[in-house]
Amino acid sequence: MLPTSLAVAIATAAMTLVPALLLLWAWRRGLFRDLDAQSRVIFEPRDWRIERPWEAPSDRLAREAAHGPLESPQPGEWGGAGRSDTA
Amino acid sequence: MSAPDTPRFGSVEAARGRLTLEEVGAIASSRGLAPEDLEVRLRADASSRRAVLALFAVALGWLIIGTIFGDIASIKLHSPDFLTRTSWLTFGRVRTAHLHAVNYGWATAALIGMALWLMPRLVHTELKGVPIAIGGAVLFTIGIAAGIVAVLAGWSDGMEWLEAPRWLAGPFLVIGGGLIGLSLFWTVASRKSEHLYVSVWYILGAFIWFPMLYLVGKWPTYVGVESAAANWFFAHNVLGFWLTALSVGGAYYFIPKVLGRPIYSYQLSIVGFWSLAMFYSLNGMHHLVGGPLPTWMITTSIVASVFMFIPVVATAINLHMTVVGRFGALRYSPTLRFVVLGAFAYTAVSLQGSFTALREVNRVTHFTHWTVAHSHVGAYAFVTFVAFGAMYYIVPRLVGHEWPSERLIRWHFNLVLAGIAIYVVALSWAGVAQGLALLDPATPFQESLRRTLPGLWARTFGGLLLTAGHLVFAYHFWIMVRTPERARRTRPPFHEARPVLYTAEAEAARR
Amino acid sequence: MSRRGDLMARTSLVALGAFAIMASAITILVVIPKTMMREVRAMPELAPYTEQQLVGRQVYIANGCIYCHSQQIRDPAFTTDVNRGWGSRATVPEDYVHDRPHLLGTMRTGPDLINVGQRLPSVDWHLIHLYDPRAVFEWSTMPAFPFLFEERQPNDVRPGEKVVPIPGPRAPRGVTIVAKPEALALVDYLVSLKRQYPIADSLRAGDRMAIGGGTHGAGGTHD
Repeated sequence: MLPTSLAVAIATAAMTLVPALLLLWAWRRGLFRDLDAQSRVIFEPRDWRIERPWEAPSDRLAREAAHGPLESPQPGEWGGAGRSDTA
Repeated sequence: MSAPDTPRFGSVEAARGRLTLEEVGAIASSRGLAPEDLEVRLRADASSRRAVLALFAVALGWLIIGTIFGDIASIKLHSPDFLTRTSWLTFGRVRTAHLHAVNYGWATAALIGMALWLMPRLVHTELKGVPIAIGGAVLFTIGIAAGIVAVLAGWSDGMEWLEAPRWLAGPFLVIGGGLIGLSLFWTVASRKSEHLYVSVWYILGAFIWFPMLYLVGKWPTYVGVESAAANWFFAHNVLGFWLTALSVGGAYYFIPKVLGRPIYSYQLSIVGFWSLAMFYSLNGMHHLVGGPLPTWMITTSIVASVFMFIPVVATAINLHMTVVGRFGALRYSPTLRFVVLGAFAYTAVSLQGSFTALREVNRVTHFTHWTVAHSHVGAYAFVTFVAFGAMYYIVPRLVGHEWPSERLIRWHFNLVLAGIAIYVVALSWAGVAQGLALLDPATPFQESLRRTLPGLWARTFGGLLLTAGHLVFAYHFWIMVRTPERARRTRPPFHEARPVLYTAEAEAARR
Repeated sequence: MSRRGDLMARTSLVALGAFAIMASAITILVVIPKTMMREVRAMPELAPYTEQQLVGRQVYIANGCIYCHSQQIRDPAFTTDVNRGWGSRATVPEDYVHDRPHLLGTMRTGPDLINVGQRLPSVDWHLIHLYDPRAVFEWSTMPAFPFLFEERQPNDVRPGEKVVPIPGPRAPRGVTIVAKPEALALVDYLVSLKRQYPIADSLRAGDRMAIGGGTHGAGGTHD
């Protein structure tokens, strides 16, 4: 008869080992290189260049330096109503 | 690819239809995109438009219905002779109708709508099988409605969160949900993006996990305490692997997108995803602490509940460090207001959960209103807030113009924020008072009841504020999608960006 | 490796990993316990529910009694359920063998009911309480269930029907209250709820150690 503790231990081991092995395999396949690029997948060039009214001037300058001249946001760009510069 | 149907209200198809190929090219290059990239995003939004708007409309309908059921149930707890004569409205049925309408009706429909919009955007292709997705949504909604009507009529399968009769509602839910999943998986399989953003994992995961959970929960041959284990395996994991997964997936998109900053640490998000899956899945038995189950099962769940610290802190760090220094953005963006607060609520409810699972704390809180308050921090302050934020962002991009009224947005936000704050504080306090009274055998039972009454009245008040907020939002959504063609001329269509708008003179002229 | 192959690998990886973790968790918390529970047998003192009691149990489920009432007694070493008089001992899996599904409950807006048949064995008491809880306890917030009863003219009661003797000031005027079959079934079920027969220590929930094996009494809890 299989002791419960053994069955639980095996299942828990499977639960940790299988994902660990999958992650290891993924890493060997190089799926984890360039994670920074992965985090940037959701952005278009315009997202970098929109002028965001809450940003400090220094951030604005840094954004301009990195991505070029800033663009105005559309009305309701941030999910609101009316002009983007009203709260 | 399905051709977009005749556009009505300033839709992106209209915008695109009116622009010549050269103008599309000019807009694209002014945004630093290749023309086909601009096309893709517009096509992605256009493809998901009908399904997403339909799901959002259905979701809001369920939100109103579910909140009203909640109000009725809440009133009955302190004023039990309210609407007491008819069996359809007895507390035990209305409470269940509320739970199903808000979790499987509102939250599920809203988050599926969000997922159907998000997935094409994330994988840079159109939504595949749109009629399948819409058909699935219709069937799923019928299933939910049938389940709720059945429960109100007195036909229930008996386990909490799983009451909808399996042979009546089950086929609709399974086939409907399956069709929606099919559309999503097909879209992912057709993708053209180079990377799989973390939100894609959460959405994929959710659509793999929910069917597995439903199968476990609805398995027909359980006996005795086996059914309790299966019950709370399902009920707890539907929170973590369906509602939370989709909501966290949404938060990981909307927060960086609006802020224009990538997620603080993508490595942490990988850790967060896998550790969430591993630990959350073993939590379920913490609903049965002290109960007639083998102790090892309950201990496993308590330990896993404490280990939840890892994914929750990982996600909290990630989202917080992405927002830090830019909290001013919440003033400008309703999306961020709701999603960031929702993310905070996620951290709070999870830490609260880890804490509540400990035996010494559970001794006080189990069987009390504390648990109900806790569940509303999760399902409302976290999940519902993320869904609100997502809808504020998505709907303008589908109808082609921004929301009509800043005032209605403010009313919505203030009402629901006040409502949930009052709700949670009042009910948590009532729960602790109740629990402490129950622990003392010298204190008569009626005392535990008496001590909860002020909190229950306050909870009704909070719930009415929530209802008001929902009516405001539903009305706003209605006028948003019904805005006639005429009004568009006074308010430029959202995505229609003619190159001339990007010059300084044109901007000055527009102001 | 092709770009396309890479992308498919990533998706399959996530899907496979997600599936594997959930499958493992189901194994640990559902499949293994279900296999263990095959060994659980009712004590001879615990009779299966009668036909009428099962109907009553379904009425309990249909009206959501579970959302205010629990049906479990926790270990007296852990908490005060026993001290409060709700049972003489903690309940164990053997007590629930006839329950499909369980009705363990998660709220105590009302008292625990697993031994209510022992505490309150009177059918009349339950009928009055279900018709109008505040006729019994004026502080009660339990919903009334008038739809489980019929209002009849006093001379309109047929033989074999059960009249509910509602006391004093809250008795409805000019009508007689007769219990419907659902009410009688529900009360029959409630009055059957008794789990105070003694059980041997070795059947305590925490002591089961083997799947498919006999009980190995180890004594004590495993907290």
